[in-house]
Amino acid sequence: MAKINPSFGKELNKYGAINSNACYNCGNCTAVCSLSTEEVSFPREMVRLSTLGLEDDIQSSLKPWECYYCGECSTHCPQEANPSELMMSLRRYLTAKYDWTGLSGLMYKSLPLSIAAFVLTLVGVLIFAFSVDFVLEKMVHIGHLFEMIAIGTVGLVILLPNVARMWWFTILKPGTKVSFKKYLSSMGDLFVHMFTQKRALGCDDNQLRWFEHFLMVIGYLSLLFTTVFLNWFSSEYLIVTIFGYVVSAIVFVVTFDFVLSRIKKKKEISKHSQPSDWFFVIWLFLMGLSAFMVRLFIDLDLLETNKWLYLVHLTVLVQWALIIVPFGKWTHFLYRSFAMYFAKLKA
Amino acid sequence: MKDSLKSSSYDALVIGAGIAGGEAALNLANTGYKVLLVDKELSVGGKMIMLSKVFPTLDCAACITTPKVSEISRHPNITIFTGSEVSNIRKISDNEFVAKVTRKPRYVHVEDCTACQLCEKACPTSVRDQYQFGLIGRKAAFIPFSICSPKAAAIDIDNCTLCGACERVCPTHCIDFTMETETNELHVKTIVVATGFNLFDPNNIPRYGYGKYKNVITAMQMEREIAPTRPFHTILRPGDGKVPDKIAYVLCVGSRDATVGNPICSQICCMYSIKQAQLLMGALPMADVTIYYINIRSFGKGFEEFYQQAKGMGVNFVKGKIGRISEKENGNLILRYEDINKGKLQEAEHDMVILSTGVLPTKGIDGLFENETLTLDQFSFVGQSDMLASPAKTSIGGVFVAGAATGPMDIPDSILSAGAASSEAISYIIQHA
Repeated sequence: MAKINPSFGKELNKYGAINSNACYNCGNCTAVCSLSTEEVSFPREMVRLSTLGLEDDIQSSLKPWECYYCGECSTHCPQEANPSELMMSLRRYLTAKYDWTGLSGLMYKSLPLSIAAFVLTLVGVLIFAFSVDFVLEKMVHIGHLFEMIAIGTVGLVILLPNVARMWWFTILKPGTKVSFKKYLSSMGDLFVHMFTQKRALGCDDNQLRWFEHFLMVIGYLSLLFTTVFLNWFSSEYLIVTIFGYVVSAIVFVVTFDFVLSRIKKKKEISKHSQPSDWFFVIWLFLMGLSAFMVRLFIDLDLLETNKWLYLVHLTVLVQWALIIVPFGKWTHFLYRSFAMYFAKLKA
Repeated sequence: MKDSLKSSSYDALVIGAGIAGGEAALNLANTGYKVLLVDKELSVGGKMIMLSKVFPTLDCAACITTPKVSEISRHPNITIFTGSEVSNIRKISDNEFVAKVTRKPRYVHVEDCTACQLCEKACPTSVRDQYQFGLIGRKAAFIPFSICSPKAAAIDIDNCTLCGACERVCPTHCIDFTMETETNELHVKTIVVATGFNLFDPNNIPRYGYGKYKNVITAMQMEREIAPTRPFHTILRPGDGKVPDKIAYVLCVGSRDATVGNPICSQICCMYSIKQAQLLMGALPMADVTIYYINIRSFGKGFEEFYQQAKGMGVNFVKGKIGRISEKENGNLILRYEDINKGKLQEAEHDMVILSTGVLPTKGIDGLFENETLTLDQFSFVGQSDMLASPAKTSIGGVFVAGAATGPMDIPDSILSAGAASSEAISYIIQHA
């Protein structure tokens, strides 16, 4: 027996859905979508499920993750029901559902709570700085240590269980039988999608969007690798130093363009921005820029007299690692690639 | 007709000589009032005179329109100005309106023309025939269409090369290139606005490929293909002249669609498409006809039965709006849609696609009035100041509205509405005598 949640539409509006109840089920959105196929047809089905409030069906669906938001469906929706933004809000909703702590949902729905979290982490960083008497060497050392510990902890305590929950919602709970062999043989898809996001190439809009995003992902992962494993800020190797400059520049240049397009609102994809979207792009930008500046100040021997800069970088880093990565938009990096993996298992 | 030009005073002015305007003019004239009937086209009859048959009775449209048209044309109380436009309407007092009527020159003296078509044969210039919705060509000297009224030639001066060939062959010497635009000042007691509607231009939805794919046509073009006075004398697809055997109808093209600024239902497209589907099944017994719809709205008398009849005849109804159309090399078309009943994206191949285009308001009617404001509704149709109790009344006392000028409407409703408008107009004249 299907369970209907009549207030689901209102709930979804808190995640950013706009006017989705206006849908009159013509299917135009599905028909104009270049990623939609006979086997996997969306977004109208998801609009219908949302209007009816069939939460179980939504939670077991991978379709929200199979949409890469070109926005064609919203451009051509005769009822202006905004299906692409509905898909986006479903991704936020699912992110909240997968998260066992429940914090994702709270922060998606409440801006004051998100701001409080950001302020709290800022205070934490300041207390830490006081506790080490603003000694730069100590701050940089512990900052680097923090990065490693944060990656490990967030990965094991938050992200891993959440991906397992996604697996439970989408594969185990609906009773999909998958052989162990298939889990192994499909594994390739997981990594291909994780590192290339190649499905976005199927979108009809400008493929520059895919390239920009791809560049950003590679830049971000490389920056992570350089700062954490190559210890960029303390590295003596010229090659590491230069590489760090290049990748951090990629991150802040590309994200600057992302922020700009969200301000301009010219493309369908950047017309509607929730706080979580702003936090994601702006913090990524700040992280790239502040890392670049910190290393630059180190190379110019200015950091000792400008400790504030490192504190800014550390604050951005802590907020990124403790708020945006586990409970914010960062998770789409995992869920999107796992969704492609699970979809392959289901097929 | 000649003496009508001299007179500049009438009881009523009817703007638009389609089925609503014609009906309103007849009612007024039969009651004894002098009527001036103005239409911007070269013939009276509006859109209905172009149609094949009417729903839900499948009566021949021309057989209903032409007797009415000839009655209008021969009525002693009705003066007709075709190729004319009304402007600068001023309300002087409760029983006097002054208006300007501009008659564009036809370059043919209608009363002398015998419609022998010799000018058509002689004319060297061919252009697309707007009265056949571009399916075929016509000459620059031409008779608008076979059942037009007045049945007389006209010169399309924009495309004319002024070679004089038509003038030389005309046996009655009725072609006269010295004709000029005439402006008349009119005095009337009441006005009926019956300006009808426009059809949506599917060029505004590029993903349907109209204008690019030759075998995508509008329902009005198909209407001409199945009318008794049809241009090809058979049904064929324009791309290569092949007789189609897998025909698709795309409903709601330019209606119920906020992206093109027309969110409302056009009220006639479902029914005219079902009508055409039935006629096609009669004309091409082997053909498959599929109608892609969002909702079938068969709300009038006999409409639902008509819909069921089409189903019974084998017309295929598929719930789902067409998202995109693409063309194959052989001219066939691939329609992409979601079959709503299955919830699956589908692609279907058809060899001809008919776009059932929606109803749009005639723009600029409010601009005809100078010292009073004709209020339009939110969709730019003429506003009805008392929609429930007196649907023919507008925001201006003495100005009444008939037919599709108030909103999308089928033929029976237009005629009813014209009856209401003419009654209101008559009553207004009597009250303000």
